[in-house]
Amino acid sequence: MPLLDIENLTVSFPQHEGVVQAVRGVSLSVAAGESVGIVGESGSGKSVTCMAVLRLLREPPARIAADKMELAGVNMLTASRAQLSASRGRVAAMVFQDPMTAFDPVFTIGHQIVETIRAHRKVSKSEARGEAANLLARVEIKTPEAILNSYPHQLSGGMLQRAMIAMALSCRPQILFADEPTTALDVTIQAQILQLIKDLQAEFGMGLIMVTHDLGVVAETVDRVVVMYGGRVMETAPVQDIFDAPAHPYTQALMASMPGRSAGKQRLVEIPGASPNPSNPPSGCPFHPRCAVAEARCAAQVPAFKSQSATRAAACWRLP
Amino acid sequence: MIRYILGRIASIALTFTVVSVIVFLMMHAVPGGPFDGNDMPVSDAVKAKLNASLGLDQPLYVQYFKYMWGVLHFDFGIPFQSPGETTLQLLSRAWPPSLILGGAGVLIGAPLGILLGMAAALRRNSWIDYLASAFATLGLTIPVFVISMGLIMVFAVWLNWLPASGWGKPHAWILPITAYAAIPMATYARYTRSAMLDVLTKPFVTVLRAKGLSERRIIFQHVLRNAALPMVTVFLPMFIGTATGSIFVEAMFRVPGLGAYFVSSITLRDYSLEMALILMVTMMFCIAYLLSDIVYALLNPRIRVGGRS
Ligand SMILES: Nc1ncnc2c1ncn2[C@@H]1O[C@H](COP(=O)(O)OP(=O)(O)OP(=O)(O)O)[C@@H](O)[C@H]1O
Ligand SMILES: [Mg+2]
Repeated sequence: MPLLDIENLTVSFPQHEGVVQAVRGVSLSVAAGESVGIVGESGSGKSVTCMAVLRLLREPPARIAADKMELAGVNMLTASRAQLSASRGRVAAMVFQDPMTAFDPVFTIGHQIVETIRAHRKVSKSEARGEAANLLARVEIKTPEAILNSYPHQLSGGMLQRAMIAMALSCRPQILFADEPTTALDVTIQAQILQLIKDLQAEFGMGLIMVTHDLGVVAETVDRVVVMYGGRVMETAPVQDIFDAPAHPYTQALMASMPGRSAGKQRLVEIPGASPNPSNPPSGCPFHPRCAVAEARCAAQVPAFKSQSATRAAACWRLP
Repeated sequence: MIRYILGRIASIALTFTVVSVIVFLMMHAVPGGPFDGNDMPVSDAVKAKLNASLGLDQPLYVQYFKYMWGVLHFDFGIPFQSPGETTLQLLSRAWPPSLILGGAGVLIGAPLGILLGMAAALRRNSWIDYLASAFATLGLTIPVFVISMGLIMVFAVWLNWLPASGWGKPHAWILPITAYAAIPMATYARYTRSAMLDVLTKPFVTVLRAKGLSERRIIFQHVLRNAALPMVTVFLPMFIGTATGSIFVEAMFRVPGLGAYFVSSITLRDYSLEMALILMVTMMFCIAYLLSDIVYALLNPRIRVGGRS
């Protein structure tokens, strides 16, 4: 049984101008200890998918529906408040994009890690604090005690992101969601943080969902890639296959747009056209208006998500 | 922090001086004097003699320095409208009713408003929210004498539960306290609601949920604590504003408080009392703002402990 099992997830936000269809039928499963990258351009529904799994979107306005959404055997669609609190942080933890706004500004880092530990386990404050110090040391913070006593505004983004990773790991989660964990950081620190997440994932044997729009990040950190576009999954395949033989035209375009990959071209090649309007998505395959090889049926009907092999699947009419 | 407080105290002294000069000049710039009233005509000779005996014939700057010299020694002169006592005696007689009623109004109204605002923020767009908003808007827009009149009509005239006016018996205090509570309650309901909604949209609240904290802990420990930062700064000034009496509430309920003297000291050219009242209120507001800022700094680590190391 997979650790995370999502079938046909849809998330929409009714608004005055119409319904924003952020996620339109995503199926995704992650096995224990597996690392999966979710890639796709801005607005493709990556963050909303992750937030929906932990039921972190405000409902209403968000409307979540799925044929199945299970996390470690718990049906997250029907889970009670208490079940949700027990799963969050403990079964699945999350590292967010902007560490500068992720901590409560009026409490110390130590307080916020300790309260996380004590929300899930019956340990004394001083024990929890000792654990917090060890965790900070584990995320390569040289002066754990000083950081524990610091307020968020006293620390740099890189330091805060390390602290957030330590906090996320404090209850030994079975799966870690990392939503663009390096986007807000200095380039010099990005690689260190990615390496850290990768090492910790192996060490803790936990599942990982790495959300990013940077294929380079994916290449370095995950086993399998899920490519999203317009709220749908376009393709999923082992990371090597995605780079060597992308099957879906969108994945191919994405690879071509990567700087330095296509021979001789250093500049980033934009995929022509604009991303779909989530309030008024195109009919059929969401990528067909920008697809170089689109046919008539691409606009008429949504292609089914079909397996090409034991490890690969894609949603494209042109694929077998 | 010490430096900051000393700086603030210096600026309070400056404010105090500037206010005293401006008020003194304006007070004397208004034509007429204490003995120019029509109901009790006095001959010019008598008037001159009276003015001389009170020192009102001296140049303004002499009068000003004389008065301020007295103020520094807690001597606020004699109120012309009640010459049998000193200004300080008048204040210590008239202020307690205002302090008790207005103070109780704030101390009861503010917590109720906070609860109402919290309920509204936590149940956004529900009937509680709409009711609280309607309540807050009414409390701020209906003049307080209309509220007072309504209270008297309902509880004193129709239901005959409570006396319409008076000061002696504590149950006569209930209606004026209620009237006084309206504005603090409405102000705090609005303030709390918007401060909490503001905090609830902060990304760190999502992080707290993602960590698996209970909703109760998130609201009471984190959201309220953050929302309290802007809320504490309005409390003391509001307290001063209300606890120095309202001429409307006091007139409606015939409370022998301070409120009426703010007006009578001006119309009767009661210079000593007018200066005393304004200086007292100015000083209290200055101290209230100073204390508010100190409390804010103590609650806010971004000020209390320095910046990025
Ligand atoms: N609370 C919300 N209300 C309305 N629309 C929303 C809300 N949250 C997200 N959306 C919309 O849902 C769509 C998907 O958003 P999402 O944040 O998942 O994109 P993303 O793939 O994470 O993009 P990025 O790379 O920019 O983070 C977007 O069109 C966004 O505008
Ligand atoms: Mg995102």
